[in-house]
Formats: sequence, C-alpha cells, structure tokens
Amino acid sequence: MKILETKNLIKRFNGVNAVDRLSIKIEKGQITGIIGPNGSGKTTLINLLSGVLVLDDGEVILNKTKKLSRILPYQIFSYGITRTFQNVRLFEQMTVLDNILVVITERNAFSSLFEKHTEYHYKLAKEILQKVGLWEKKNQLAVNLSYGQRKLLEIARALAMKAEIYLFDEPFAGLFPEMRKVVSDIVQGLKRKNKTIILVEHDMGLIREICDYVIVMNEGKLLAEGKPADVLKKREVIEAYLGN
Amino acid sequence: MAYLIHLAILFAIYAILGMSLNLVVGYTGLLSITHAAFYGIGAYTTAILLTKTGAGFFTSLILGIFITIAVSFLVGIVLSKFKGDYYSIGTLGFNTIVFAIFLNWQNLTRGPLGIPGISRPKLFGINFDNNFVFLILALVFLILVYFVSRFIVNSSFGRVLKAIREDETAIAVFGYNTLYFKLIIFIISAVIAATAGSLFASYITFVDPSGFQLMESVFILAIIILGGLANLRGPILGALFLTLLPEILRFVGFPADIAAQMRQVIYGVILVLLMLYRPQGLVGEYKL
Amino acid sequence: MDIIPQLILNSVIAGAIYTLVALGFNLIYGTAKFSNLAHGVIAAIGGYAVFYLTKTLNLNVYIAIILGVTLAGLVGWASNKFIYLPLRKRKASNMILFIASLGVMTALQAIIAMLFSSQFKTLSQDIGTQKLFKIFGGVITQTQVIILSSTIFIIAGLALLLYKTRFGKAVRAINDDEEAAQIIGINTNKIIGLVFFIGSAIAGLAGILIGFDTGIEPTMGLDLLFKGMVTSIIGGAGNIYGGILGGFLIGFVENFSIWRISGEWKDAIVFMLLIVFLIFRPRGIINK
Repeated sequence: MKILETKNLIKRFNGVNAVDRLSIKIEKGQITGIIGPNGSGKTTLINLLSGVLVLDDGEVILNKTKKLSRILPYQIFSYGITRTFQNVRLFEQMTVLDNILVVITERNAFSSLFEKHTEYHYKLAKEILQKVGLWEKKNQLAVNLSYGQRKLLEIARALAMKAEIYLFDEPFAGLFPEMRKVVSDIVQGLKRKNKTIILVEHDMGLIREICDYVIVMNEGKLLAEGKPADVLKKREVIEAYLGN
Repeated sequence: MAYLIHLAILFAIYAILGMSLNLVVGYTGLLSITHAAFYGIGAYTTAILLTKTGAGFFTSLILGIFITIAVSFLVGIVLSKFKGDYYSIGTLGFNTIVFAIFLNWQNLTRGPLGIPGISRPKLFGINFDNNFVFLILALVFLILVYFVSRFIVNSSFGRVLKAIREDETAIAVFGYNTLYFKLIIFIISAVIAATAGSLFASYITFVDPSGFQLMESVFILAIIILGGLANLRGPILGALFLTLLPEILRFVGFPADIAAQMRQVIYGVILVLLMLYRPQGLVGEYKL
Repeated sequence: MDIIPQLILNSVIAGAIYTLVALGFNLIYGTAKFSNLAHGVIAAIGGYAVFYLTKTLNLNVYIAIILGVTLAGLVGWASNKFIYLPLRKRKASNMILFIASLGVMTALQAIIAMLFSSQFKTLSQDIGTQKLFKIFGGVITQTQVIILSSTIFIIAGLALLLYKTRFGKAVRAINDDEEAAQIIGINTNKIIGLVFFIGSAIAGLAGILIGFDTGIEPTMGLDLLFKGMVTSIIGGAGNIYGGILGGFLIGFVENFSIWRISGEWKDAIVFMLLIVFLIFRPRGIINK
C-alpha cells in the first residue's frame, strides 16, 4: 500500500527549483532510501514532508485518501509522521529526560498548564531512553552529550512519537560502527513492527544493507528508483555522483 | 525608615514586573521590549476608575486585567507574524503606540498633566494609607506572582516554553502548536505586569505617561538580565539591585536631575557588560 | 488645496532625512547582519557635536560639521570594535547583539542628556533670516535645499563606492557570505569596521542636518532610529536602494497624516504602517 505519495512537488529558492516536480510513492512497512549527490534536494524533500518548509506547488497524499497542499509542522504528528534532523536539533539547555518528556506531554496549550508530567509519561520516557542506552544520562544537559549520544537522543525523541512514518535525515552520519549497529537495529526494529521509514543517507553500503527500495534524486528531480542493487548499478546514477 | 519602606514597595513592584517579563524572555526566548505598555494600562485603568468613578481598587484591578487580556491577545497575534529581530522591533513599536495614546488621548488620560488623587485600596477597613500596610499588600502580590510563575514553569506547559526557546521548529514537528503557547504566556505575562501597574498607581497616587515609556521597558529588561534569565529568583535579585542603585548614587551626591540620567547610563552600561562578560546574569539558568 | 505642494515638499525633505538614516542602518545591517539600535543616537551625537563646536567653542561651521560627522563615525566604529566585534567573534546570538546595542543606545542617550540637558536646541546661527526658495507652489529653506542635495550626493557617492571600488566589492562580498569572503582573503573585520564608520558618519550627518532644519534634543535618536528601521524594513532589510523608496514613503505618510490627523499621532501611524508591512510584505517593497 502506498502510504505516502507526492505529486509534482515544487520548492523554489532564489529562482532555482530545489525540489522540481517530484512525484514519488512510498510503500508501507518498507525502508525506502533517498540518495543523491549534495544539493539534490533530499533534505528539502524531508523538510517539505514535515512542514518545515512550505510547498510552492504540488501535493502530498497520505494513506491514499488525505490530499495536502499545505502542511504545518505541528500537524504532522496527527498524520502519524515524525522526523529527525540532519544537523541534530535537540533542546540544548534542557536535560536528556526533559528532551523526551517535552514531546510526549499534553499538546493542548491550555490544558498543559494544569499538567505536571504523569507516571505514564515518566515510564514512557524511561522505556525509550533505556532502549537507546541514555537512561543513565537522564539528568545531563543535551548540550553536554557526545556527538553519538546526541544522534541517539534525536532518534529516541522520534521513537517516542510511536508514529507510522519515520523521516530519518542522515541518522548514521559521523557515527562509529558500534553506534551504527544500534541505529540500524532500531530502524530495522521499526520495520518489523510494520512501520514505514524514509531514510536519507550517503553511505551506499548501508543503503544496500537495509533498504528495501531506493529513490535517487538529482537537482531536485527524480533520477531513478528501484531495488538498491539495481539502482546503484545504473549509469546515470553513477554519473550524477561523479559529475558533481 | 519610612524611606526604606518606600524603597521596599518599589522593589516589590519591580520584582513583579521582572517576574512577568522573565516568563516571556527567559523561559520562552521572546525578546519583548514592551512591558511598560501593559504596566501602564494597569496603572491608568486604576487611575481613571478610582478618580472618575466610585469603583474600588480591586474592581479596577479586575477591569485592568480584562482590558490587558484583550489588548495583549491582539498584540500577541500581530507579533506572532514577526520573526527574530522584527519581533523585538515590533514590540518597541507597540510600546511607542501605547505611550502615544497615554500622552495624546487627553480626554481620557489628561495627557502630560497626568492623573492625581488616586486613592489607596479599601479592603475590610484596613488602612492602606499607611505605607507599611501597603508594603504588606505589595509583598502578598509578589508572593502570589512567585507561586503562579512557579506553577507555570514546572508544568508541562512550562517545559514546552523552554523547548520553544531552544528550537521552535523542532518542538513544533512533534505536534505542538507553538503559536498558542506563545500567545498564552504573552497574555499571562501582560496581565501580571498590569497588576503591578495597578499597585503602582494606587501607591504613588499619581500617574503620568512618563513612567511608561520605552526606557521603562528597557529597565525591566535590565532587571531580568542582570538577575538572570529563566530562574525564579533572578528577577527578585535584579530588582533588588537596581532599585537600590539610585540610592547609592544619591549617597555619592549626584544632583537630582543628573541622577536620573546617571541611572540610565548605568543601566545601559550594565546591559553591555553583561552581554560581554556574563550573559547569564547573577543566577540565570539560560545562557543567551 | 494649495497646502498640497507644501506638504509634498515637506514630505520630500523628511523622506530625505529618513533615507540618510536608513542608508547607514542598511549598510551596517548588510555586513554585520544585525540591527544596530544605537544608530539613531549616533545621529544625535553628530548634531550635538556640531552644537558644542559652534555654539560653545565658536568654531567655523564647516569645520564643525566635518568634525561632527567624523565623531559620529568614530563612535560607531568604536562600538563595533569594542563591543559588537568581540561578541560576533564568539558567535553571539542575535539577541545578545540586539541587547548590547540597546545598552549602548540607552547609555549614550543619557550621556547626551547629562552633558547638554534635555532642552530642545537649534544649530542654526541666524533664526528667521534664511534664504527661502519658491518651488512648485511651496516654500523651502536654504537648509532644506542642503538636506536634499546632501542626500542625493550621499546616495550617488555610496553607489560609486559600492559598485565601482574594490572596497565596495569587498563589502558586497561580505554581504553575500562573510565566511566565503574571508576565505578569499578579504579582511572582513577591517572592512566591517569601516562600514560601521561610514554608516555612522552618514547618520551623524543626518543628525546635523536636522539640527539646522528644526533642532536637536537627546531623544531625537530614538525617533530617527524608528523611522530609519521602518524605512529599511519597508524597503527590504539590507537593500540599500529600497531604503530610498521607504524613506520617502514614510516622509509622505507622516506629513500627509498630520494634515488630517493631529500631529501627535504621527509616530503611531508610522508604526502601524510598519506593522501592516511586516504582515503583508515582510520582505519589503522591492521583493527580490
């Protein structure tokens, strides 16, 4: 089932189409990799899908029924979508624990005035942080964590959403092999629960290893798509990378 | 001794103002430089009601709160369209507009002449004309404001505010409509400032526009930056320090009108020095 | 009906002044990327310097003007070298820079008031005996002619500087991308320092011209700052030439609104114009 589709998505910056009439289809329960040379529009795509950037044209279709030409960031939660950021965007001067608590407590502004976090929230935060091995650091400020720990916290935050669709923007970048295994296990664990993952990455080995499907972007357009082994052999894909 | 009580009342009023601004600047990260406007709305509402009608202090307080809710709601909505520096510039503009209203809507406010003869509060026969008794009232308000602030800051709402300060987009994508959070805290903060205004009007028994200019907003900002942002004790320390400062100056022997300017020079220098050497102020939990 | 040509003339004169202020403000914003709140008070410094030099020291007025402009430029340059540059070097946030410039503005304004008192003063040597010129059915003074010609001269000079000199090229490179400019060997700190000098000097000139046209007072800087900021925002932040359009727009709005509405509200009206712009066209008139 195509859980997410885009039709002719366009995003303009200074007269250039960073995303250029992009039409893609994402299969539910799969790990779909998005690859392409630098500047091909991968992160812009993720930003459009998460409402961080405004669509200039085109639409996003969810679950084959919901057609969206406008997405506001706070709405994606209700659509079952969550994301991580390429350059980790944590709440730096808040603790590890607070970084998780803050995204799982009451969302209604007015009601949240009258809520202190409950047992339920605390337990959920503990569960998530233990899964990524950050529970011991729960009272440390996010700004004081190591790079790898920051990446893990970023992912933990997204996991706490218990979403249907996960947009991961370069979650493996800069990580040592042990950490990479942790992240890879998390991603594949999500797939086992029939969740959908869209993964922007540069590491071709990883792409081959864990992706079910690959979409190649170049200069904002769709260049190629298919199974990893097939796509990575295609001439135009190799040229796109070498040419840049 | 009488003078100490006077200072203590001023301290309490400025501590309340500082706590209110801290909610918006320190916890939410919105650099708002317009609090003197809401301070003034509270003050003028009390002044006008108490001198032109038979209404009492507490009635005027409530009316002032309602007016402030309406005004801050509208202003908050308009300001929400501005990002970064433009937000702060917009707040400067709003303060200017409100000051112009105080100065020029003479039918209502008597303009630069001000409104004299505001009476002290009347409650259960307590004699608030006695400054010491008024000090108790002011401190009661301060304690109330402290507990309200603590309640807000420790709630889930307060945690979201801090996240907005750290990275508004990052918290938004997790399902939080940051506009509502910012608007609500802006309104709450404005209401607290207006309450300080009502207290001020009734204490000094005279209001005029000069107390509600841009420089007053800058002064309140200096209080919380000096004391330290995002800490409940910060504004209290800052208010303490900056209310005592003019007295130290008088001791040193500056003539009255120079003293006012000297104070302003010092506020400006303090702001610059803090930015250069200690942006977290005395006890701040948030480093700018 | 024959007030209209005079209004138009007044608008053009006012617009010229605001354009001068905005030009300097934009220059600084374009390179240093922050809103220098002290820009207005630096204009006042120019005016007061000339006042002191001519009225107290009896210097020749032309020498005084040159010295005044230079002093204003130096103050701007110094504020960058000792305050903003160190802050930018440690990657201080915009909020810190904003507050620092707020502190500088506050302190400088109070120093002027201390040294010269808050009274309104005029720079002109001979009141009432200025040459008048009749144009298009209205009247302008000799000073106002000088204002107009200075503005045109500065606009042209700036254009030449920015587009026909190596210095200008470096400035434009820094505007686009400071880091990239550094990589190709441009001494960005030195150039930004010079930009501060030039922008502040232009502001100083504006202050001097106003001093001759109407007069000076310590708070004039705030008013000029607002008009300058509004002008540059309406023209498009950092856009040197949008500032010109913005300046004249403000001049017109101000003067024509005085015609119909009482003069005291003109600041509020200008601010409402700003708010309208920020809501509907945040990138300014000239949308690149």
